[in-house]
Amino acid sequence: MDVLEVKNLCKRYPAFELKNVSFTLKQGKITGFIGRNGAGKSTTLNSLLHFVHPDSGEIRFFGKEVRENELSIKQNIGFVSSGVNYYPKKKLKKITAITKSFYHNWDDAAYERYCKMFALDQNKTPEQLSAGMKVKYALALALSHNAKLLILDEPTSGLDPVSRDDLLDVFMNLCDEGKSILFSTHITSDLDKCADNIIYIKNGQILAESEIQTFVDSYKVVEFTENELNPKQKETLIGAKRSKKGLSALVRSSEAGMFNGAYTDADLESVMVHLEKEGNLC
Amino acid sequence: MLGKLLKKEIALTMHPIVPFVLLMSVMVFIPNYPYTVVFFYTTLSIFFTCLLGRENNDVIYSLNLPIAKSDLVKGRFAFSILLEMIQMALVMALCLLKQNLHMTANEAGLEANIVLVGFGLLLYGIFNLVFFLNYYKNVSKVGFSFVIASILFFIGVIAEAVLTHAVPFIRDHLDTNDPEYMSEKMIVLITGIILYIVLTAIAYNRSKKLFEVQDL
Repeated sequence: MDVLEVKNLCKRYPAFELKNVSFTLKQGKITGFIGRNGAGKSTTLNSLLHFVHPDSGEIRFFGKEVRENELSIKQNIGFVSSGVNYYPKKKLKKITAITKSFYHNWDDAAYERYCKMFALDQNKTPEQLSAGMKVKYALALALSHNAKLLILDEPTSGLDPVSRDDLLDVFMNLCDEGKSILFSTHITSDLDKCADNIIYIKNGQILAESEIQTFVDSYKVVEFTENELNPKQKETLIGAKRSKKGLSALVRSSEAGMFNGAYTDADLESVMVHLEKEGNLC
Repeated sequence: MLGKLLKKEIALTMHPIVPFVLLMSVMVFIPNYPYTVVFFYTTLSIFFTCLLGRENNDVIYSLNLPIAKSDLVKGRFAFSILLEMIQMALVMALCLLKQNLHMTANEAGLEANIVLVGFGLLLYGIFNLVFFLNYYKNVSKVGFSFVIASILFFIGVIAEAVLTHAVPFIRDHLDTNDPEYMSEKMIVLITGIILYIVLTAIAYNRSKKLFEVQDL
């Protein structure tokens, strides 16, 4: 059974449209959700959490339709954004006391364990926490009600590299315990380190849904100068852009042979950047 | 669930000034004062709580809890009704006390009697209807909702003051100490109770629908 199944999700705003967004999440996997600003990541996540009303489409968590089972589904998911932006002047222990009263499966021992692990002081307020600590507090809340699926909305943005790395370790440990994670981010290097699968959204449409390694391996990066390529080679280029050595572009791995070995392996960032520039003339 | 929602409203969302505002009920002891203004302070408490909720991202916090969108509306209405009922109970108790103290008549509007309570309930009903219907159209526009509701509230306050002086029946029968003309006054009180319930129920049901379709 899929942890999350989204089918043909549509939402139309005056200046933006989510078009037939469909994807699935597998249990025990970290799935990266990438796309540039305004691509539709937040609208999709907000639709999952019922912050916005989709015009059409189906959302199923753990095989259950969300509209009919919202409350039981919410007992089993945890949402973690880039920080606790609510009640900045209330002590953590007060926020926790109220939060836990709503969950059937709240585990005080787990909460204490995570607070100790993350070095969270219960007498501090959210505004006294660093960006990383805010994420850890939100994670502690989500994990203490035994959430089976964590939806993370740019949890590592604004964190220093060491804090980001610490958090990625936490996410990978959680996956080892069988939790599933949907991880929306701009920082593709974080996904290179920890994600199993990738969902790529562009202009409100899902462009790719695949294992991350399969997705990245399907492209190569070529660097070239203006007059170096023949017309046939030029036809295969995807998203040509300026680079330090002249120009760079993606090519499909199946077509990389025509560049006589003058290409390098792509990483997630280079794939995303070039795909976003698709349509540029070289 | 209602208990949990109320606890959340009181522990996290309630503005700290609210308990002190309830004590404003003692203003019914001020000589020659329009006592219907006393009820305005509770509407201010509701406004400040909604405002504080907005500044603290209460909606985002609450929607992450395992509750439905409509439960947020239920919690806020329960909290507001609780405040209104506490103030009404305080005003009623203080009116009773004042009647026994035989203080001088109020020249600025209704006496502190059960007609005042009935009229106060009507004002709360109007406030709930206008404020919440505007607020739940867009929870970010708390100030606008309050201004519109306050204008209508004060039109009601002015109307009460004018009618108390201008209409002989109100002046001679309703603007008197209890228990004089109790049967006429009871009709006003019961009418106030019914209108409060009807207006608040309309506000609640419509607010749930408005909030449900709102994209946050």
